Amino acid sequence: MKNSEFGVITFKSTHHAIKGESIFKKEDIKFRMIPTPREVTHSCGLSIKFDLKNISEVKDIIDRNEVDIDGLFKLIKDEKGNSSEKLN
Amino acid sequence: MNIKVDARGEACPKPVIMTKKELDKMNEGIITTIVDNEIAKENVSKLANSLGYEYEVDAKDEDEYHIHITKGEVVEGISESIKDEFKDMTIAFASDTMGEGSEELGRILIKSFIYTVTEVTPYPSTLIFYNGGVRLTCEGSEVLEDLRALEEKGVEIISCGTCLDFFEIKEKLQVGEVSNMYTIYEKLKNPANLVTIG
Repeated sequence: MKNSEFGVITFKSTHHAIKGESIFKKEDIKFRMIPTPREVTHSCGLSIKFDLKNISEVKDIIDRNEVDIDGLFKLIKDEKGNSSEKLN
Repeated sequence: MNIKVDARGEACPKPVIMTKKELDKMNEGIITTIVDNEIAKENVSKLANSLGYEYEVDAKDEDEYHIHITKGEVVEGISESIKDEFKDMTIAFASDTMGEGSEELGRILIKSFIYTVTEVTPYPSTLIFYNGGVRLTCEGSEVLEDLRALEEKGVEIISCGTCLDFFEIKEKLQVGEVSNMYTIYEKLKNPANLVTIG
């Protein structure tokens, strides 16, 4: 598998995730719903995946719409496997 | 048997699909695929490699490459890696949502499911879409990018023609091939593993 990094927004519940998706859909940003990566297990099963270069827009969307999120993470895939880092 | 596939002027991933189709049809023999660009040459070569067939590239010109693929001589060692890459598995999508209970949830689950298919190897050999499932392969589907990526990897994607016709979206098909019930039955009855989603 090729090395990659991307951002992940986790939610407290599936309902929060579905609401989060509908808010993000109204914004001009590329994102997608993914199953929450195993490395970030303590949240609900659905997350938003986004490009890390859009991190400031993502944070802005969350703030403006008061999206109730669980956490923001950076997911790193490399030779050693997958790992995650919490973003602030 | 010696077959020529002229894929000049065809956009990616068409040359790969055309080659794979001919390879699937023949028991053994040589297929020569002609392409007009470097990327198509690479992709067709990768296909031959992933299937474990011997191939040879003959660069006639800057915009003409002949890739000779020999089916029947599976190279040892490589055949192991095909097993890693593909699994004899068909996934059938009977609907554009996953499970029953909530349509809203089902739509998200199916996106999440298809994303997961792209992330995990070995890949299934075939994805079949019928009834409401054909909405996933047509314009407006949110999983087109994933399905195209899978097709490029060599996963066969088949949509039910009767169903496309019923929903009047035949001309909106964006990925894979159209097929009839005979092919669908064949693909559903032969694989070692069959998973139905719907």
